[in-house]
Amino acid sequence: MAMVRSRSIFELDLYIAFSAISLLVIGIMFIFSSGVAATGQVVSTEYLRQILWASTGLVIMFLITFTDYRIFERTAVLLYLMMIVLLILTLMFGRIVNGARRWIGIAGFGGQPSEFMKIALLILLARYYSNRLGRARSLVVFLGGLGLTLLPTMLVLLQPDLGSAMVYIPIFLVVAFFSGARPAHIGFLVATGLLFLLFTVIPFWQEHLSHRALPAVGVLTDLRALQFLLAGVGLAGLLAGIGLYATRRPVFGWILYSLAVVVIATPMAFAARRFLRDYQIMRLVVFVDPYIDPQGAGWNIIQSITAIGSGGVAGKGYLQGTQSHFQYLPAQSTDFIFSILAEEWGFLGVLLVFALFVVIFVRSLYVMVSAREHFAAFLVAGVLALFVVHFTINIGMTIGMMPVTGLPLLLLSFGGSSVWTALIGLGLVMSVYQHRYQY
Amino acid sequence: MTRLAFVVAAMAVIVLVYLWRVFQMQVLEGSLYELRARQTVQRVEPVFAQRGLIYDRTVQEPVATNRTSFALTLVAADIPAGQQDEVVTLLAELLGRDRGGIDARLRSTRRGSFQPVEIASGLTLAQINGVAERIDRLPGVSWYSKPERIYPDGALLSNVLGYVGDITPQELQILFNEGYTATSILGKSGVEQRYDQLLRGTDGRRFRVVDARGRYVGEDQRLVAPEQGDDLVLTLDRRLQDLASQALGSRIGSVVAMRPGTGEVLAMVTYPRFNPNAFAGPDGQQAIRALSLDRRAPFLNRPTQAAASPASTFKIVMSAAVLGENAFSPTEEILCTGTFPFGNRVFNDWLEYGHGQMNLAGALAQSCNVYYYTMGAQHLSVDQIIDYSFRLGLGTRTGIDLGGEVEGLVPSPAWKEQALNQRWVGGDTVNMSIGQGYLQVTPLQMAVMLSTIVNGGTVYQPQVLREVRNPVTGGILQRNQPVVVRESGIDPEILRTVREHLRGVLTDGTAEVVITTSAVESAGKTGTGQIGVEGQFHSWFVAYAPYGDHVPRSEQIVLVVMVDAVNEWEWWAPKAANIILHGYFRDLDYDAAVADLRRGPRWLWYM
Repeated sequence: MAMVRSRSIFELDLYIAFSAISLLVIGIMFIFSSGVAATGQVVSTEYLRQILWASTGLVIMFLITFTDYRIFERTAVLLYLMMIVLLILTLMFGRIVNGARRWIGIAGFGGQPSEFMKIALLILLARYYSNRLGRARSLVVFLGGLGLTLLPTMLVLLQPDLGSAMVYIPIFLVVAFFSGARPAHIGFLVATGLLFLLFTVIPFWQEHLSHRALPAVGVLTDLRALQFLLAGVGLAGLLAGIGLYATRRPVFGWILYSLAVVVIATPMAFAARRFLRDYQIMRLVVFVDPYIDPQGAGWNIIQSITAIGSGGVAGKGYLQGTQSHFQYLPAQSTDFIFSILAEEWGFLGVLLVFALFVVIFVRSLYVMVSAREHFAAFLVAGVLALFVVHFTINIGMTIGMMPVTGLPLLLLSFGGSSVWTALIGLGLVMSVYQHRYQY
Repeated sequence: MTRLAFVVAAMAVIVLVYLWRVFQMQVLEGSLYELRARQTVQRVEPVFAQRGLIYDRTVQEPVATNRTSFALTLVAADIPAGQQDEVVTLLAELLGRDRGGIDARLRSTRRGSFQPVEIASGLTLAQINGVAERIDRLPGVSWYSKPERIYPDGALLSNVLGYVGDITPQELQILFNEGYTATSILGKSGVEQRYDQLLRGTDGRRFRVVDARGRYVGEDQRLVAPEQGDDLVLTLDRRLQDLASQALGSRIGSVVAMRPGTGEVLAMVTYPRFNPNAFAGPDGQQAIRALSLDRRAPFLNRPTQAAASPASTFKIVMSAAVLGENAFSPTEEILCTGTFPFGNRVFNDWLEYGHGQMNLAGALAQSCNVYYYTMGAQHLSVDQIIDYSFRLGLGTRTGIDLGGEVEGLVPSPAWKEQALNQRWVGGDTVNMSIGQGYLQVTPLQMAVMLSTIVNGGTVYQPQVLREVRNPVTGGILQRNQPVVVRESGIDPEILRTVREHLRGVLTDGTAEVVITTSAVESAGKTGTGQIGVEGQFHSWFVAYAPYGDHVPRSEQIVLVVMVDAVNEWEWWAPKAANIILHGYFRDLDYDAAVADLRRGPRWLWYM
């Protein structure tokens, strides 16, 4: 036993540790860069705080690495419930930052529970599915996992924090996928989600972008038309149900499946349009064409794309970016850190950062495969999902391929909670690796 | 395992698609974004060149100069959405201007454009200070110095100098390739327009880097220095212009003074006039519009743009034709009874009972119509009259270096056939012989005609530009030489005879009682044009001085005064000429000249 333990200390997953530290250093460099004004003065001390959080986060990461991850399996429900309570407390007493009630703390010490909720959620889901190994294909288990995910999703949507909410569901989907859930269930959720988004955006798209009124769109906006649509779909569903019952042919099953997607997505979109705030709507609209509102909602995308594109192959040089230092780029140290990096280091810098993230992805996959038990594998899958989703949404946003949702790029972006969340997640992965031979 | 492969594939797709997109943006289209980034942070402002000064021929005080003023610009992209109204309202309040004008200027730019648009000009330093104090509430607002054109003499030379104004989109369309921009100042008429290319200089550019809030950052302003426009020296004599304009007074009409030997225009007066200084500033456009609607046409430069019947002054051309074509002996006499029956019409002389026996010299001196009727009806063909008209510069543009000149009309049988669809009859020739009928000339054409008689037969192009000077060193870049339009081909001896006859008009002819000046010996011809309204006549007087064969050409002037028929002061033209000649050759201003003339030798009634 002692023999195994000592060997594993030296066989620390150096790849992940190296990538994480490299990304943290790069992140701090560009947080520093973003705090330099055009005059050359350092106007922000964010980088100092980030150094503090990164170093403490690394300590936490290594502490978790050398902790047996199975302790989290035992405390998963408690952690989850604690975070749910914190989320509720945040909703009630949290400090409002940038129009959302996200931060909670006492006397300057605190953080964003929605970030840490990601870890608690993925631990709970790993435990949930590892306890239901043979039954992962059942609809009940799928719905149970979805329920565990939707509870915190609703709570952060109320803050509102659309970005975090968009992370929880993919984590659930990835964990469920690896634990053997039916692709039809996952597909149903994805299809409903996409259709919901589409139906939400189309009327706004018509309002802001298309100059013609499309009659078909009226179905989505007019309550009476919606009732007729749903009645028609219901009738079709009834007929398909009869067909399925009478003939037992699977094609009727698929018809019902598709109809159900429409039946759920359409009213949801209708409701969402009522609840979405103007700035959120505009973010969706400018995603289609940022030049609709170049000073407002489109500004971020335009400036980010300009910054990245103007970086060229080798970049403008560290601290030499014009878009960033002249304050054109918004939220340079957090959401748009990738833009300033791409502007100053160019395509080569982007390659470096991509390579470091790919190392984390690939190593996590390797750890997941080499894990000796399902809880560990699901845990790693959840962390992997966390990283991939942040990577996809954040970088996609900066290059104009995803709507602006305000999600940090893990390890690079400024922010204590997100740095700690990322490092805790990596700590879990490394702990799984560290303890892969221990029983 | 297949699920693992699926997830790996999905991750690979995401990473590769993003990488390709970034590659596309940074490597393939990098220069495009680089340009956009540079445009975003770089603001280009014009640094206006000082427009060249304009002097009269004495080169003392400029007659057109510049004054420091400021223009305000706005970058539409810097105004946060929804705040435009607020910004415009505050600006209008600070500048004390109508917000409609600002709105109109702002509307000319694309929303979200980073190109500064000029929203107000002609501002004082005090106004700019007011804006500067509130700049935190005026995002995107900036200013620069923009020299303003000033004409120290106001309306005096406005018809020659013209005026300047902001370039219009239509003008820019045409002049785009000549280096004009949307903020250019452009000469709109007169010398300012004709010599705009010389006067305007080259505008400089200031490149400055601004941050997202439009604040200037960094010290490195790249400045392309402006090049000052060239100074112009005109042929005009400011004192003579002033004298002539006062002599004309507030009577609709014109005065032209010209050097017969070179074509240099010494004075060119029109009335009514406009004051170009009123066009600067916020109410400028309104002032222009109001003047455009004035029925007396103050924008009309009458000496070159208003053609009228030359009346009896045309008898000079007739005399030259009679002598030149040997049509009738100058010593032979014709009996003037006051009427001239021709065909089924009777043409009258202005003197009801006639002048009696008249030879050519007497006919010109007394302005005997019947004599010239006879010439036109029996001794000269219409083609000969037309020929001498063209030889002496009528019926064509004189080619003066001012825009908008009209060519007048020397009618011909062919012209009448075409324009009026009527046959030319003998009566038309008879009428034309005393300068009536369809004949139309401008005062400047009359000056050219008389100059040709005076200088021995050369038609010169009238000029208002004398020199182009370097604005810094004062060195002469270009000296305008006299331009010969054509040689009239009339024997100088004949022209000398005509000049003798013209002298007779003043010694014992129609102008004898009016031209009382003792300052100089002059020669000339009166003219009273019928315009078809009872009791109203155009009053002409064309003259030159000093008279004499041995007078240096460079001292002679040709003077044309034309007072329009709408004025009640009949016969004012020779009186004005009397004052001008007296003042010019005695070197007196208007008041002194009038006072001097009142002292004698002969007393004459003046206003």
